[in-house]
Amino acid sequence: MASDARAGRPGAMGDQRYFSTTKKGEIHELKQELSAVDKSKKKDAVKKVIAAMTVGKDVSPLFPDVINQMQTDDMELKKLVYLYLINYAKTQPDLAIMAVNTFVKDSQDPNPLIRALAVRTMGCIRVDKITEYLCDPLHRCLKDEDPYVRKTAAVCVAKLYDINAELVEDRGFLDMLKDLIGDANPMVVANAVAALSEIQELSGKPVLDLSLATVSKLLRALNECTEWGQVFILDSVVNYTPADAKDAEAVVERVLPRLQHANSAVVLSAIKVILRNMQFIQDEGMVTTLQRKLAPPLVTLLGAEPELQYVALRNISLIIQAYPAVLANDVKVFFCKYNDPSYVKMEKLDIMIKLVNERNIDQVLLEFKEYATEVDVDFVRKAVRAIGYCAVSIPTAAERCINVLLELIQTKVNYVVQESIIVIKDIFRRYPNRYESIIGTLCDSLESLDEPEAKASMIWIIGEYAERIDNADELLEQFLESFPEETAAVQLQLMTATVKLFLKKPVEKPQQLIQLVLTYATQETDNPDLRDRAYIYWRLLSTDPEAAKDVVLAEKPTISGARDEVEPALLRELLSELGSLASVYHKPAASFVSKLRLAVQRADDLVARAAAARASGSGEEMLTSAAVAESPMAASTGATPTAAAAAAAARPAAAPVPDLLGDLLDLDVPAPAATAPAAAAAAAAPDLPVVFGEDRGKGVVVRARLAQQPDGSHVYEMAVTNVSAGVPLDGWMIQLNKNALGLAPAVQQMQLDPVLPGATASVRVPLTHAPGLQAPEQGTVLQVAVKCNQLGVLYFADQIPQQAAAPGASPAADPLAGLF
Amino acid sequence: MGLWFSRLLNLFGDKEARILVLGLDNAGKTTILYRLHVGEVVQTIPTIGFNVETVTYKNIKFQVWDLGGQTSIRPYWRCYYPNTQAIIYVVDSCDVDRLPTSREEFQAILEEEELKDSVILVYANKQDLPGALSDAQVAEGLGLTSIKNRDWSIFKTSAIKGEGLFEGLDWLSNTLKSKRR
Repeated sequence: MASDARAGRPGAMGDQRYFSTTKKGEIHELKQELSAVDKSKKKDAVKKVIAAMTVGKDVSPLFPDVINQMQTDDMELKKLVYLYLINYAKTQPDLAIMAVNTFVKDSQDPNPLIRALAVRTMGCIRVDKITEYLCDPLHRCLKDEDPYVRKTAAVCVAKLYDINAELVEDRGFLDMLKDLIGDANPMVVANAVAALSEIQELSGKPVLDLSLATVSKLLRALNECTEWGQVFILDSVVNYTPADAKDAEAVVERVLPRLQHANSAVVLSAIKVILRNMQFIQDEGMVTTLQRKLAPPLVTLLGAEPELQYVALRNISLIIQAYPAVLANDVKVFFCKYNDPSYVKMEKLDIMIKLVNERNIDQVLLEFKEYATEVDVDFVRKAVRAIGYCAVSIPTAAERCINVLLELIQTKVNYVVQESIIVIKDIFRRYPNRYESIIGTLCDSLESLDEPEAKASMIWIIGEYAERIDNADELLEQFLESFPEETAAVQLQLMTATVKLFLKKPVEKPQQLIQLVLTYATQETDNPDLRDRAYIYWRLLSTDPEAAKDVVLAEKPTISGARDEVEPALLRELLSELGSLASVYHKPAASFVSKLRLAVQRADDLVARAAAARASGSGEEMLTSAAVAESPMAASTGATPTAAAAAAAARPAAAPVPDLLGDLLDLDVPAPAATAPAAAAAAAAPDLPVVFGEDRGKGVVVRARLAQQPDGSHVYEMAVTNVSAGVPLDGWMIQLNKNALGLAPAVQQMQLDPVLPGATASVRVPLTHAPGLQAPEQGTVLQVAVKCNQLGVLYFADQIPQQAAAPGASPAADPLAGLF
Repeated sequence: MGLWFSRLLNLFGDKEARILVLGLDNAGKTTILYRLHVGEVVQTIPTIGFNVETVTYKNIKFQVWDLGGQTSIRPYWRCYYPNTQAIIYVVDSCDVDRLPTSREEFQAILEEEELKDSVILVYANKQDLPGALSDAQVAEGLGLTSIKNRDWSIFKTSAIKGEGLFEGLDWLSNTLKSKRR
């Protein structure tokens, strides 16, 4: 047909030649070479293929030809082919199956290096179709006689878990990993621990249960491990909660020697473990000794290259916030060197601020003064701020700090002066009526101010001390000339200062000024803050100037030195992640590691599943259908994906509490995820427990409870809330699984009008008693399936309240009892 | 060029032939390969992928490729067709039920353009088991008898006992030698 069409157009045939070229190209050439008989020629060809691959050419069409070279005695060639395979298995998932047999063979090779290579490569091939075939070789390698193979296999389990968690659990690989913790070879132990921790992170389940026995096994392996093995071990030991002080001391004792390690990661991890266990040691003397022992290794870390110094400094900043005593006497080591990179200097400055006290203030002040004369503007500014901080936080040193600041102002360096004025404003507020004598000096540098913050500070000072500055009105007038061009902060400050001036010196000039300011601020500006404040002043001044005086010139509370510290809860979390990126960012890992966020969600899912499993008991089929219905929800974006994620994040990450079903269900109600309609629904049906939460991702929340009528019959009270964005839900039907009371709905159709988005509808489903449906083995579990036209079937498990089960119980019993 | 090349090799007495061992799963291909290679019966598991070994017999080096016979792998046989001098097609003589399937696969191989010059050797394997079909029955079942334009032969074999395998290889090496000349 195509050729018929072409026949009508002369010359069209000619265009075809552009598509069928006689040149076969590089791929074809390589293909020829790969099928050569000569072995060295073949190897050369594979090398060419790998070279092409590494520079980004697509050589995936050669897949079958390359993997045919896989079965070879030549180790080099084998490695090359494996490399190719890792790269392209994903693009050729079907053909990758041809490699399976070679893996199986290689995993039984007499050479342990080949066995390990095979198992390592297997772990890197992320193709679902072949993972199953790789389990047997992996199983074999986990029990290999050679430790190198075992340790490689251990890591492979973690990789496999990422691809197919269920497979790993079904095949018992987790238990095998746990057995490897007791392995005679420390490298195997370290890798098994690393694998288990990774799996724990991925799944959010506690996989690695740390008993004292396990921990002592791990610590025994510690001495002989490589440095990174040590880090793995220490990082998992930190999760161990010692039973008593003695256990904690034992752990600390074994970890202490690690502080001398040359690798900074080992040192930080060791410190992390020690700090963690220190909390459990009651002996004050011992804690003090330990804290003293932590100082030298931390100081040593500062001898490393700048990048490592930075990491160390960020961690130190956390440590000294929690344990200021650790480095209390070592402020000197944080003095900046002239050739430190700026990011290290900044961090050092922060730490100096944290360590400064009455004993070392003189030294530190001298340093700060020095820094304030350097060339790096940001650093200089920070140094000036640091001086201000010292003045505010150490009263006895305030005068010395002021003197330093005055000296700095004398330098007339623009940004130094401006920064000094900003901090002096704070000092004035901290120590009212003590240092005002310096105002004169400040006023000398008025002209040089060009930054909003400095200007605002200066204006504040003028307004606050207007009565002592003879020419305050003139000074303010100068500023007012440029009033419309200033930033909002300066405008607000100017207005307030003018009002103060007017209240303090109610003479002609200030009156003009205030007229000017208020007129402009109420009529010309479009900044609502400015306008509102102007109106307030205006009214205040026009109704009762005395009251205005009381308000505007009221005594201000003194400020105290507030340094930017990490919040205590976050600090605790970060201390347990010492030596990781989290402790450098000063942010919890879950906020920037997407995998962790997923794990949190997954853990959440597991909790729900565990609850469902418990609730369903013997009702196997119900459980599976619920689980099936659930998993895609978690994966795909449901009606309220962000809300679900927020809910998942709001709950603690690894806290599966399968035995607290009621607790879990309760949690769902006030979760921050509850969007407006859900909140409204909560108000509409406040006393019904949620049985099908928003976290199930169906866009519907079902609250329900089984209740007994005064006449002894049962009803199922339900409230359905449509929290989806779109459609009304109609066609509601209900069915109960066999249950202990033998209850079944009288009619399957529910008397429920279509539920509009955001709306809640309540219904009482009358139930009848059918002895044929009685199933005492279900206990108090009531499995319910609800169907509507838009969402299909929703399964959930409810509990039969005790008073509903007991004959003749009072219907007005405590609704909470229904949960248990 | 391939012909010229192999003639050149002939001068040095070093001949290498590329042979594919094909057939349905559980026909005994891997067992045959290792019986030829190491002369022993090895414990095998279903081949997911391939095995390749070099078997030297009567001064000819056979590079023998044993490909997995499972349904999921059969589509990839074609990746191995180029430059193949001979096919050893293995049939489980006891598996009467699947003989038609085996026939379909076999006929498909015969149709392949890339294999039109290759020699066909059929092993009617598992002759040691009771109820095994005879070679004539297998030949009939596969439709061998209707092949006119190429060299083929069928041998009764038992990989477990090692019977018939080398007779087949004899025929193969002779046929290949005569073809080259």
